Amino acid sequence: MSLDMVRNEVLLSVRDLSVAAEEGGGALRPILDRISFDLAPRQILSVIGESGSGKTVLARTIANWLSAPLRVTGGEVLFRGRDLLADPIHARSLAGREIAYVGGNPAGALDPTMTVGAQLVEKLRAVRPEITPAEAKDKAIRLLSAVRIPAAARRFHEYPFQYSGGMMQRAMIVDALISDPALLIADNITQPLDVTVAAQILKLMRELNAEFSTAILFICSSLPVACDASDEVMVLHQGRVVERQAPAALVTRPEHGYTRALIAELPTLWQGGPEGRDERQRRDQRAIMSVNGVSKAYETRGKSGKALVQAVRDVTFDVFPGDNFGIVGESGCGKSSLMRLLTGLERPDGGTILFEGENVGAASPARLRELRRKFQLVLQDPYGSLPPQSAIGAILEEPLKIHRIGTPAERRERARAVMSEVGLPADIYESLPTGLSAGQRQRLNVARAMILEPRLLIMDETLSALDQTEQGKLLDLFERLQAQHGFTYIFISHDMTMVRQVCSRIAVMYLGETVEVAPNERLFFEPGHPYTRALLSAAPTLEPRRYRPEDCLLDGEPPSPIDLPPGCAFASRCPSVTARCRAENPALRTRGGQALAACFLVPDPSVTFDEPMEKSDV
Amino acid sequence: MPILRFLVRRLFQGAIIVFLVSALIFTLLRIVPGDPVRLMAGGMAPEALIEQIATEMGLRDPIYEQFGRYVGGVLQGDLGQSFVRPANGAAVGGASFDDSTRSERAKVLDLIAQTAPKTIQLALLAMVFALIIAVPIGVWGGLNPGRLPDRLALYLSSLLVSLPNFWLGIVLALLLSVKLNLLPAIGYKGFAYTILPAFVLALEIAPFIIRNLSVSVAGVMGQNFIDIARVRGLTRNQIVFRHAMKNSAVPLLNLLGVQFSMLLGGVLVIEFIFDYPGLGLLTINAVMQRDFPLIQGIAVVTAAAFVLINIVVDLLATTIDPRLDY
Repeated sequence: MSLDMVRNEVLLSVRDLSVAAEEGGGALRPILDRISFDLAPRQILSVIGESGSGKTVLARTIANWLSAPLRVTGGEVLFRGRDLLADPIHARSLAGREIAYVGGNPAGALDPTMTVGAQLVEKLRAVRPEITPAEAKDKAIRLLSAVRIPAAARRFHEYPFQYSGGMMQRAMIVDALISDPALLIADNITQPLDVTVAAQILKLMRELNAEFSTAILFICSSLPVACDASDEVMVLHQGRVVERQAPAALVTRPEHGYTRALIAELPTLWQGGPEGRDERQRRDQRAIMSVNGVSKAYETRGKSGKALVQAVRDVTFDVFPGDNFGIVGESGCGKSSLMRLLTGLERPDGGTILFEGENVGAASPARLRELRRKFQLVLQDPYGSLPPQSAIGAILEEPLKIHRIGTPAERRERARAVMSEVGLPADIYESLPTGLSAGQRQRLNVARAMILEPRLLIMDETLSALDQTEQGKLLDLFERLQAQHGFTYIFISHDMTMVRQVCSRIAVMYLGETVEVAPNERLFFEPGHPYTRALLSAAPTLEPRRYRPEDCLLDGEPPSPIDLPPGCAFASRCPSVTARCRAENPALRTRGGQALAACFLVPDPSVTFDEPMEKSDV
Repeated sequence: MPILRFLVRRLFQGAIIVFLVSALIFTLLRIVPGDPVRLMAGGMAPEALIEQIATEMGLRDPIYEQFGRYVGGVLQGDLGQSFVRPANGAAVGGASFDDSTRSERAKVLDLIAQTAPKTIQLALLAMVFALIIAVPIGVWGGLNPGRLPDRLALYLSSLLVSLPNFWLGIVLALLLSVKLNLLPAIGYKGFAYTILPAFVLALEIAPFIIRNLSVSVAGVMGQNFIDIARVRGLTRNQIVFRHAMKNSAVPLLNLLGVQFSMLLGGVLVIEFIFDYPGLGLLTINAVMQRDFPLIQGIAVVTAAAFVLINIVVDLLATTIDPRLDY
């Protein structure tokens, strides 16, 4: 990036832009404070900052999309030298034509009752009426194939609900680019996507930037993603630009304290190398939970008749007492269905789930209730998982009441004790959970789960709604509770960095199957399945990558769980695919050292997953 | 063909509904006090004759036998004969017991076939009027939630919903036909006779449509794809007329289906006030004359219409919103 280029040619120039929120009584709360920056044609500029730093407000101000109570209080937004703020009619005429916007929520971005294609054509013809419908259709199909939507001509006629999240985000990128805009504002476009899909989208965005010479303002809350995506990174903190540098320089020589803190806070995957913690594994006791060949299919009835969604297929693993067992995988891989099976909320179609030797899947409802005292569940959504009308104390005492434990006074005492253990102040015992932060709510959820003194806690994405700092605090709490009470944890998560930090043993799921089960370091430093490598290559981190997305992941969508291919489910995206993979589904095979992987590339196909305890490394 | 499977399933369910409705009506009619034979034969007829006629007509058989016979007839398209109405015309409640015309009593199916088109015409016209009144007001209110148009729509619908229809019917008849002589009101001698009762019905239905539309339009306008459509460069007209209206249409359609079924089932009060010869008037007379076969016939036909309208509504809804499943 040469400096003169920036000087010579400026597409977008923001000068001293201030935006404030009007609050009751005419008071103004500043959101953006004298922001100034330039954007050259064909440049990709990332804007990064934590939630509340004003990133999205900045994006919306430039897209002419501010609504009450937000209001511009000063400054200019010059697009090709003309101030958009002073001339709303001009700004309106640019919307969708020269300045395109892609948001972070592709799911609701198009009218559900019209086909995607019809809406792309409608949009193009709205901003460029001179284009005929036939030309518009051709262009839409061409761009849909350019963003690698398979069978674009057919997909053109499909409805938004028939697109997956990743495909919908690509369609929205097409929608933005179809009018050949000079500026694309990408507001958190990868946030709702799975890491591997997000990696594909980022790669695509860079290619499109080169091909269509569109300047991109890339708004993002993850520093690794921002650095990956752009030519330059601008750091926003409390409504001000605190720093702007090229990614490499930003990471190695951050100038502002906030940036330094941001970088220091990022968890790492590989830094420091293997510490040998896998060696501490103890496998000579009975498994607390043993899952063997479990499967579950759900029946759906669609327009094409009945179909079976194979949510969980042949999942096998053991969890040993004192373990932090991790189950990772992307959305739709069957993690949550598996959680429902493990907790006895649903019964498996096949296979067994043994909890301390007793089959959860076949237990009577009364016995299941008994068993649940010993294994408890903590859910993802901190808001939906707590009854809003019950006092915090009552929420905590309810499990005790259900299991008829103790007198009211004893229950009260127990609830207070648990509250102090998870770090909730005692004086909120009588209040409703309404005022609690997300982090406090999750503490309350943990407290509710552990009040029965269970042996096993199943954490279903418990931390994913929390920010980095709060996650760290809760992980410390989990560790302390484990030391005190000897809990065993099962963490169900999509977040590789979190799993790397806390789990001792990890199962990787893809489309309902466990494709790999391995101890932590073995998994991260020597993964046995190509999908695990793809996940690792896409994980957001600033470290030098051990696996590069280009080598690990092919373009393509995961197959639908309704219509699974006969062979390996990952075959469609696997760079090392062979003819055998397409015909035959590999079972889990041992790789030694308590590691298993379901891939034909694992060398020794000696036996199945029943590995002998004392088997040495290959 | 999923659509065929859908139709078969729904028609089968519909048949069960119609069967249950007719069984219920049939039983109730025979349990409630009031002997139809006494009404047919007249108050002066001797008790023995009444018993004789009743036995001849099978009215003294056990209810399930009577019902079995009736269902057998219905399956062959025969809804039976009216107890009281002669085939040649005017109703003769309480005629003398040796009335010779009794042998040629009117077929229920014919009676319904004569009156149903009038009611359908009335219902359709009422629907059209109601939509013309309610759609602009409802959409306008929905586009400005909480502001003046929304409040006006609310006040107007509260006003309309609290006007009793018999009062409104009489007032309008007085005003428009008697005083201003604009429209005919009583009886039926041509299409113009439908307008006034239809208008009264429309004013009765309109508030429901207004509320339904303004709520669903306001809901759709708050959705992400509408919000983002402006940033994508669509014009306000495109957003409102192509996207907001289409997405609000499904709840409206469901409401219209229910309202239309209710109109078909007989608008008793309005048809009675305007002496409009539709199903409603037929029902009232049938009930007053204890004309069991006619009441049953009307119940079966309106239940079937209800079922069919609901099937049509669901089919239309899936063409508007493809996410909906059959």
